Amino acid sequence: MEPTAESQAVAPARTGASPAIACRGITKRFPGVVANDAVDFEAAEGEVHALLGENGAGKSTLSNIFTGLYRADEGELEVHGRPVSFVSPRDGIAAGIGMVHQHFRLVEPFTVAENVMLGDQSDVGRSFRLHPRAIEDRVAELGERYGMAVDPRARIWQLSVGEQQRVEILKALYREARILILDEPTAVLTPQEAAALFQTLRAMAADGRTVIFISHKLHEVKAVSDRVTVLRDGRSVATVDTAASTLRSLAELMVGRELQTYNRREGRREVGELRFEVDGITAAGDRGVSAVHDVSLRVHAGEILGIAGVAGNGQRELAEAVTGLRPLQFGAIRVGGVTVHPGDPRSAIQAGIAHVPEDRLHTGVAPSLSISSNVVLKSYRSDENSAGPFLRFHRIRDWAVELIRRYDVKAPGPGASARQLSGGNLQKVVLAREFSGTPKVLVIAAPTRGLDVGAIETVHEHLRDAAASGVAILLISEDLDELMTLSDRIAVMYEGRIVGEVDAATAAVAEIGLMMAGGGGS
Amino acid sequence: MSLRIERRLTQPRWLSVAVPLGSLVVAFVLIAVVLLATGHNPVTTYRDMFEAAFTAPGALTQTLIGATPLLFTGLAAAAAFRMNLFNIGGEGQLYFGAIGSSAAGLLLVGQSTTVLIAAMIAAGMAAGAAWALIPGFLRAYLSTNEIITSLMLNYVAGLILTYLIFDSHSYWRDTTSASAAVFPVGKALPDAANWPTLGSGVVVPFGLIVGVAAAALLWVLYSRTRFGFEVQVMSDSPRAARYSGMRTRRKILAVMALSGALAGLGGASQVGDFLHTLDADPKGLRAYGYGYTGIVVAALARYNPFAVVLVAVLLGGLQNAGSALQGPDFPSGLVGVMSGMILFTTLGGELLIRYRVRLQRRQREAVAPASEGGR
Amino acid sequence: MNNSILVVVIASGVAYGTPLLFAALGELLAERSGVLNLGVEGMMLSGAVMGFWAVQRIGGPGGTVLLVAVLVAALAGAAVSLLFAFIVITLRANQIVSGLALTIFAGAAGLSSYLGNDLGLADAPAKHQFAPVDLFDLGDAPIVGPILFEQTWLVYASWALVALTAVYLSRTRPGLNVRAVGESPQTADAVGISVTAYRYAHVLAGGALAGVGGACFSLALTPQWVDGITGGAGWIAIALVIFAFWRPELCLVGAYFFGAFQALPFTLQARGVTLAPELFQALPYVMTVVVLVVVSSGIAKRRLGAPGALGVPFVREER
Repeated sequence: MEPTAESQAVAPARTGASPAIACRGITKRFPGVVANDAVDFEAAEGEVHALLGENGAGKSTLSNIFTGLYRADEGELEVHGRPVSFVSPRDGIAAGIGMVHQHFRLVEPFTVAENVMLGDQSDVGRSFRLHPRAIEDRVAELGERYGMAVDPRARIWQLSVGEQQRVEILKALYREARILILDEPTAVLTPQEAAALFQTLRAMAADGRTVIFISHKLHEVKAVSDRVTVLRDGRSVATVDTAASTLRSLAELMVGRELQTYNRREGRREVGELRFEVDGITAAGDRGVSAVHDVSLRVHAGEILGIAGVAGNGQRELAEAVTGLRPLQFGAIRVGGVTVHPGDPRSAIQAGIAHVPEDRLHTGVAPSLSISSNVVLKSYRSDENSAGPFLRFHRIRDWAVELIRRYDVKAPGPGASARQLSGGNLQKVVLAREFSGTPKVLVIAAPTRGLDVGAIETVHEHLRDAAASGVAILLISEDLDELMTLSDRIAVMYEGRIVGEVDAATAAVAEIGLMMAGGGGS
Repeated sequence: MSLRIERRLTQPRWLSVAVPLGSLVVAFVLIAVVLLATGHNPVTTYRDMFEAAFTAPGALTQTLIGATPLLFTGLAAAAAFRMNLFNIGGEGQLYFGAIGSSAAGLLLVGQSTTVLIAAMIAAGMAAGAAWALIPGFLRAYLSTNEIITSLMLNYVAGLILTYLIFDSHSYWRDTTSASAAVFPVGKALPDAANWPTLGSGVVVPFGLIVGVAAAALLWVLYSRTRFGFEVQVMSDSPRAARYSGMRTRRKILAVMALSGALAGLGGASQVGDFLHTLDADPKGLRAYGYGYTGIVVAALARYNPFAVVLVAVLLGGLQNAGSALQGPDFPSGLVGVMSGMILFTTLGGELLIRYRVRLQRRQREAVAPASEGGR
Repeated sequence: MNNSILVVVIASGVAYGTPLLFAALGELLAERSGVLNLGVEGMMLSGAVMGFWAVQRIGGPGGTVLLVAVLVAALAGAAVSLLFAFIVITLRANQIVSGLALTIFAGAAGLSSYLGNDLGLADAPAKHQFAPVDLFDLGDAPIVGPILFEQTWLVYASWALVALTAVYLSRTRPGLNVRAVGESPQTADAVGISVTAYRYAHVLAGGALAGVGGACFSLALTPQWVDGITGGAGWIAIALVIFAFWRPELCLVGAYFFGAFQALPFTLQARGVTLAPELFQALPYVMTVVVLVVVSSGIAKRRLGAPGALGVPFVREER
């Protein structure tokens, strides 16, 4: 899928602004994938420049090259007009580039000032004695200047997530970063905190600094940036002027699928009675803030309901909430009309809810145990698999052999450990196990992440077969292709809420993309 | 230069045997060096120890006597450590087992030996389990790490033991006999409460046989039953255990109770096989550190119950040799040095089993981390 | 008044608590770097035996010999801890079991006993020992006299050490770095701090201080060599660190608290008071458990808790 000639347009920076950071022809390969493919990029001084793209588009890789964590295989990098070659993150910092990561690098029991001091391992910070007062003053000063005041003496665990992010920014500013890169900064913020952040970013740009803002959220990109560079599948697709773009035009660039035809299912699937009801559930995330807000879903027997959305909008928490791994704050879950006891995985299993989790290796299986063991992970108590307190090893082993055959798992034998299996084969084992319990409902997340084409096809086959045999399926995926191919209906999740639900056969891709990026629905 | 460490995907069988054996060899070599450096002849020392432990007349019997408590505390540690529950409280749980079983023996005076032994075993196990449930409960329901709590309770148990004999007029204390007037001592258990022995040339204490049976049962429990399956899953991946609906908190309690029961059984064996009274003498039961040595046994046996039997006999032999050879020529403290060194080398060898280790030039090129959110 | 129970108990508490204090400060440093070292008893005994050896074998004026002996004790403790450090830091072995191995290796019926025996140290009183000094001639002052001004130099050194450790951790850059290593080694590693180097340094420092703690026994409290002379003080020191919420100042308070409770029963018995001594002796242990429960509960964990990465080997590949 080649970008068309017209989409190669690059909007220039405001006249008079010189490039702060620029790269040409940057290519970075990892085993099996080209993360960045001949990317050209340029951000000017005094500019807020957004880097837009879906997951896997290459945004994080590119920024890691800018900071010196990665080295590009090909291409050149220039900072303030001078060519540079970074060997480690220290070089990036020395060149005045600072990054605020999605996962903060903060020591929770320390104060803000201590974290700032810790991050400053340069020669300036080499003094033996600490001077917390001086640090605190500087931190307070920087905070005031850019509208992100934080008490330098507060301990990190006392701060809200938004405030913690400010500390990360202050760390970079303290080290005199002229170019600041923020990776999906609003993923963990409330709307109010995000608005405050944007003011800060604009203030920093007004001060002559450069801000590179990585995001998949159209609203925000439109609100805060001067220019937007769109990445898709590792390539730079376009650089446009934000003021001259609309949400729709950005969405089209980002998703870029108008020209593609889909292997959509022909006709409607036969759908049975209402099987799985998620009724107004609200669940807290890991940090205490709600991650799932008042979500309601209805899935019928034999139906596949897809949940679309960019990762980090509450899908993981939703999957955990409906399978009992996360307690509910409000709402109820029903299978066949019967309420399932919330927050208890065993109840969900007994109610007939099968779960193929996002993290296959660390949650879905016991990685060091054999395939045989993993295949009976949930069913070892049944009469077939155990005789009184004892396990029937022969029977279990035979069953594992049967499942290996049936699902075409490539493994040395049933005794091989789960850890040894490739991604695709591991997923087959998990599916085999979940289906073998003849479930009423299947909740499956990121089913084909990291799998090769053949394995993807197989997994899709199994899902279609399951639906055909009457299982109600909740399919959570970041891959819009997959959702379009498999689902009957698609609900879109954004910031923990369902912002829209469409019929998969007739929906416009751009519309879904818009909702995914927060630009549609309400 | 730096060490580059990668987790092994498969653990070849031969490695699981070769590395412990290799560690043993390394340990013996290092100790030989220490011996030489301090003017002792390693060859004669080793030979004398082997004789004193196994081949001299009466040696094997003494060794088995020393091995018996280590077998129980070793099983106790193995049972818990297998599930990443670091029960350091074997010592205190053993004391409680002694307290419980001696109470049973004293209460049931007049009953037959069979009844007494059964009661002592049951009481010893129950008392040990109860004492272990304290750190177990704190861990399961209050997320309090069991290492220090179980350790502290060892001291409390020792103090309770002292209190019962030295500073109170408890049920256990002997207040009538002549010797009791001179020095506080516990009531003697009835003769019927003496646990029998087997064999004449080599005398095997009944407790040892109970211990071997316990090892077999533990092996069956952990490798053949649903309970054992759950332990396996929980120790490999607590998240997967929760995901599959296992009741993790109850399992923690159960395993701690099991561990305490095994240690308590060791205390019962001490009373029934050897002491025939509740011994609170600071130079007696409390001096040997059976609970702590049991952890060494379990670690050397890599938590396998049958290997525990073997290692217990080995360490029992070592202890026996140490006390038998005590004198001006034989370096006292050699027992501790050897046990400790063997354990060190075994622990170091563990690394080679679980990880592949390579020396490498320090890398300047950053390596792509295995999981980065999005690209 | 200076002979009242209270004063005597507190004064003895200070004396008995000093070895605990040294060992606890050492363990505190190790734990702050993220390493749980259960081998304190072994390290203390190593220090005790080698310090005693130095006093018996080195000639010279008493003061100098004692000073050298303390240094020798520190070295012995550090040397033994080096073995432990190598196993748990470089070889990433399980810290719990390794610590126990260290205790058995170096403890009573281990290396310390071996050396004590081979060097012929038993059955002879120390040639020099630390005796209480009358500081500023205030030894007879009411109440505070015996408690504060009639202690040995070891006691006064321990006070200085508490202050030094507190300042080190809270006001210096290496102190900040080691705290980061103990709380979040990944973060420390990411900013270029060598987790390995810091852990080695602090475990060795812990060993050295434990060695000095052991010397308090053989050079001051019971100036002779007996196998196992520390009598379990190493384990108490471990508990003490938790009891003190990993803060040096509180180690001081806790050490004297534990020390007083050790001294109390004997003092009471000497006065003819018959209360079961075990009750008092058990109290510190029970209180440590209570403190640990409180510290582990969700709310308190962040304010008061253990270093975040305590006991976990640092393996960069598994980030």
